[in-house]
Amino acid sequence: MNIVVLVKMVPDTESRLEIVDGKVNESGFKYMVNPYDEFAVEQAVQFKEASGGKVTLVSLFSNDTSIDTDLRKMMAIGADEAIVLRQDGYRGDRPSANAKTISDAISEMNADLVIGGVQGIDYYQGATGPMIAHMLGIPHVSGVTNLEMNGEKFTAKRQIEGGLQVIECSGPVLITCQKDMTKVRFPALKDIMMSKRKPFENREVSLNEGNDVNTDECSLPPARGGGVIIDGESAEEKVDKLIEKLKTEAKVL
Amino acid sequence: MSSVVVVGEVDGNEVKDVSQQVAAVAAGMGDVVGIVMGKNIAEAAMKLSTSKIIIAEDDTLENYDPVRFSSIVTQVVEQTNATRVLMGATTMGKDLGPRLAAELNWGYLGDCLEAGDEGFVRPNYAGKVLAKSNPTNPVVVSIRNNAYPAGESWSGTVENFSGNIPDSNLTTASIEKIGAGTVELTEANIVVSGGRGLESPENYEEHIRPLANALGAAAGASRAIVDAGWVPHSHQVGQTGKTVTPDLYLAIGISGAIQHLGGMSGSKFIVAINKDAEAPIFKVADYGIIGDLFEIVPVLKSKLDN
Repeated sequence: MNIVVLVKMVPDTESRLEIVDGKVNESGFKYMVNPYDEFAVEQAVQFKEASGGKVTLVSLFSNDTSIDTDLRKMMAIGADEAIVLRQDGYRGDRPSANAKTISDAISEMNADLVIGGVQGIDYYQGATGPMIAHMLGIPHVSGVTNLEMNGEKFTAKRQIEGGLQVIECSGPVLITCQKDMTKVRFPALKDIMMSKRKPFENREVSLNEGNDVNTDECSLPPARGGGVIIDGESAEEKVDKLIEKLKTEAKVL
Repeated sequence: MSSVVVVGEVDGNEVKDVSQQVAAVAAGMGDVVGIVMGKNIAEAAMKLSTSKIIIAEDDTLENYDPVRFSSIVTQVVEQTNATRVLMGATTMGKDLGPRLAAELNWGYLGDCLEAGDEGFVRPNYAGKVLAKSNPTNPVVVSIRNNAYPAGESWSGTVENFSGNIPDSNLTTASIEKIGAGTVELTEANIVVSGGRGLESPENYEEHIRPLANALGAAAGASRAIVDAGWVPHSHQVGQTGKTVTPDLYLAIGISGAIQHLGGMSGSKFIVAINKDAEAPIFKVADYGIIGDLFEIVPVLKSKLDN
């Protein structure tokens, strides 16, 4: 079983979001592995442990090497090697161009399974995975909450409106992981030490032309003013006032 | 005028509300052609509010399949010379949109909050930043539920899809219904969410779900109680969960971490019930009640029951 895991580096959730001249000021951003992608790494390693094979991490990022430590943590979980596609001028909001660059790199790897997170916690489009699947000419299942492997066959469950769609397929297939999929292990110290000796390749790639839509302007959402605090002598009085307001002011009941 | 393809979805005998909203948005952009795919869906599909409706009915289309659906929409686009495809940001739309964009060699804008002639607005960083664009090239767009009023149901001309339905090696073995009768978070008009103030998973079941049922609402949760294993991740609202934009959002025992606020601050009205007067949730709430949720929620529920 040859597994490729797609790992995106994203600004951490504590990053300060400041708009300068209609653009997000990204200068202070620290990057980390996209949390959804960690589930993909863990699932891939579990499959490898169950039936052998190889787990290769593939990440497209800039020349900034501050991310290497965080990627090594994914290798400590059990991935065998990492290939970082280094791109001058990389941006995370170009799913079409990025999918082309990544699919070019992995098309020769003969993966039985390509797996990544359902979306990046930066731009939330959930686009790169399905786009790569199309470019590789393989099917995909997105937002998977449970994935099982029996021989060559996969069974994936994805949440849909009001239920779970249970999908069976043979490889190669591209899967994107929802948060509930699996529990990501804490690597042992021994595995962290070992991970430092695993192959870690930096590969220069050029910018691809994609079909991405340029963002013209970013803004912060209109601030919501705090509303009214509903006072009352008793719980009952407060609730009565609330229901009254919801009916007459907000008109949502 | 250029033409626009709307991918409609049906639910039972009706077109989904979000599809009618999308059809209404598309009506302002050009000649609109609707495409609805499925099995035994013709009668419902005809209610899609577009002037022309193409129906693709086949046994193999009973369940959504990205390979088949993407190919069919691509053929409809080629046939109609459309330059835009619009769909609801449902679990299908968010999956189909990007694959279709790749197949068409078009751009993609996912989960848009605004769509129209003036451009498109979509959320970045879980809604903490809004990104506006006005693409001149062809684009596939998915639009979030509740962003626009629905188009009126009316009957346009109907034709059957006559192209090819490709093979796919995905097979839907079954649909497991979960929580029968519960409302999907991202489609709900009202959301009732609980947080750590509930103190235990039993209290979530005792206070949040019954209140949600009484309001015909979806039940949501903060990240804290999802991580604690009280409720599944499918309930989570916020940066690593779902973004919701209901008419009414009730935050009960939720302090309002920035990651949570990102996922719900687009709601039309927000009610917060929390015993901590300093909780950040009160900064975004239209109506706040400072007090013990265990006293207030039962009273609220019984009043709503009447």
